[in-house]
Amino acid sequence: MIKIENLSHTYKNRSEEAVNNVNLHIKKGESVVIIGSSGSGKSTLLKCINRLLEPTSGKILINGEDIINSKKKKAEKIRGSIGMIFQNFNLIERETVLSNALNGRLRFNRTLKSVFGRFSKEDYAITENNLKIVGLYDDRNERVANLSGGQKQRVAIARALSQKPDIILADEPVSNLDPKLMKEIMDLLKSICEEKGITLVTSLHFLDFAKRYGSRIIGMREGKVVFDGKPEELTEKDIVDIYGKTKDWYLYGKTGF
Amino acid sequence: MKKIKLPKWKYKGLFIGLLIVIIYYWALTGTDTSPTTFAKGLPFMADFLRRMFPPDISNLGRFLLKAIETLQMAIVGSTIGALIALPLSFLAARNIMPNKFIYHSIRTIFDVCRGINEIVWGLIFVSMVGLGPFPGVLALAAHVTGALGRYFSESIETVDPEMIKAVISTGANKIQVIARGIFPQVKPLFINYTLYYLENNFRAATVLGLVGAGGIGMELITSMRLFRNREVLTILIIMILMVMAIDRFSAYIRKKIVRVESLE
Repeated sequence: MIKIENLSHTYKNRSEEAVNNVNLHIKKGESVVIIGSSGSGKSTLLKCINRLLEPTSGKILINGEDIINSKKKKAEKIRGSIGMIFQNFNLIERETVLSNALNGRLRFNRTLKSVFGRFSKEDYAITENNLKIVGLYDDRNERVANLSGGQKQRVAIARALSQKPDIILADEPVSNLDPKLMKEIMDLLKSICEEKGITLVTSLHFLDFAKRYGSRIIGMREGKVVFDGKPEELTEKDIVDIYGKTKDWYLYGKTGF
Repeated sequence: MKKIKLPKWKYKGLFIGLLIVIIYYWALTGTDTSPTTFAKGLPFMADFLRRMFPPDISNLGRFLLKAIETLQMAIVGSTIGALIALPLSFLAARNIMPNKFIYHSIRTIFDVCRGINEIVWGLIFVSMVGLGPFPGVLALAAHVTGALGRYFSESIETVDPEMIKAVISTGANKIQVIARGIFPQVKPLFINYTLYYLENNFRAATVLGLVGAGGIGMELITSMRLFRNREVLTILIIMILMVMAIDRFSAYIRKKIVRVESLE
């Protein structure tokens, strides 16, 4: 499903690599959680997968197709099969819930039509159904700016689902939410992906969350993968490898669940 | 912003004071500004004003038609200008236009259009298409294209790149990203600026007639040349009332938009 080969990314004006020679193979239907402290490269890695960031070197195959070395049109097509959810929600605040979720349908629409905000009946039906799934159908005409953080992330999930994605990338999707909402959103995301067979790749700060929602855990430190395995295989030594000193990782270990 | 470094010595205050005196002396003598000349002229002014009363309303109908024409010029000119500025402004926004040459060329066109005053544009277009309201419309459109183009592209440059990333991530192409990710963020600003320029253009259109480019200004210059001072007053009253009405109307609508925005 996702095959990452020798992937590296260095930000402009920085010498150290944010992602350093990463090799990963993620299978269809897996729920992979990437953990690591801030600046470990997990977010950079996610953004390279759908080429929101241009990697410095390496290859990424999505369903066998190389997204990095494809031309713009092809890359957009591959990117469309990958939904993405962001830490800061990244919605168009003054637009409605429905309008934001409809953006997931853009890839199925001709340019001229979508410029004027025209979508087909089918687009509306699919999007409205996804809003029902995330529990926001009744608020579909509400402006996003008036929603709570948890609701905003639900809109983002509906938008991603409207893409009919094979993969969903979730970049610290619950970092801006309170603990109760964190659990709600992660439960929702996980159950939807399991039901629809969508491969889920999430980056998370917290260890207990990662263990709970990941069928596989990838630990990153300084741009390198330092752990790759099942949650129950994660030893205390691995945790120190990922987070550094025991004192530091303890902070990441507990969220109150 | 760079801080201006002031010299650090005892007589700093004296030095600055002297500098200000010199600048004003230079500017005042250069412009023949003199209170005595002004005072001497007051009786002439009084005489002029006296001859304006009472306002002559025998041609009121024609003046009102011309005032309406002025409003029409402002509406058409602003709309044409906004419609030209809208697509161009996206090409002149640094954050979405990777080609520096195109970016700088369009910015320069905007600056030239904006830098030339409506009256000067009026002179140019009168010599091109002849007298009447049409060259006036073109003059307003040319100036507004530059002004709105500049403001539009600057607002596009302030949009949140993170919000756009989400639209990009759906697999949308560049034009879709602009229409669905960037435009919604700048739409209220665009409406606001356009209304402001509609208001501005009405004021500009009232004087465009001085160079033969249509509107009520044409009546004003004719009556002035024929020394029909009582008509001049009528025209001035119409101009003032209409500018006030348009300003109120535009301010009211813009306030409504701002209020809707702040509710979010």
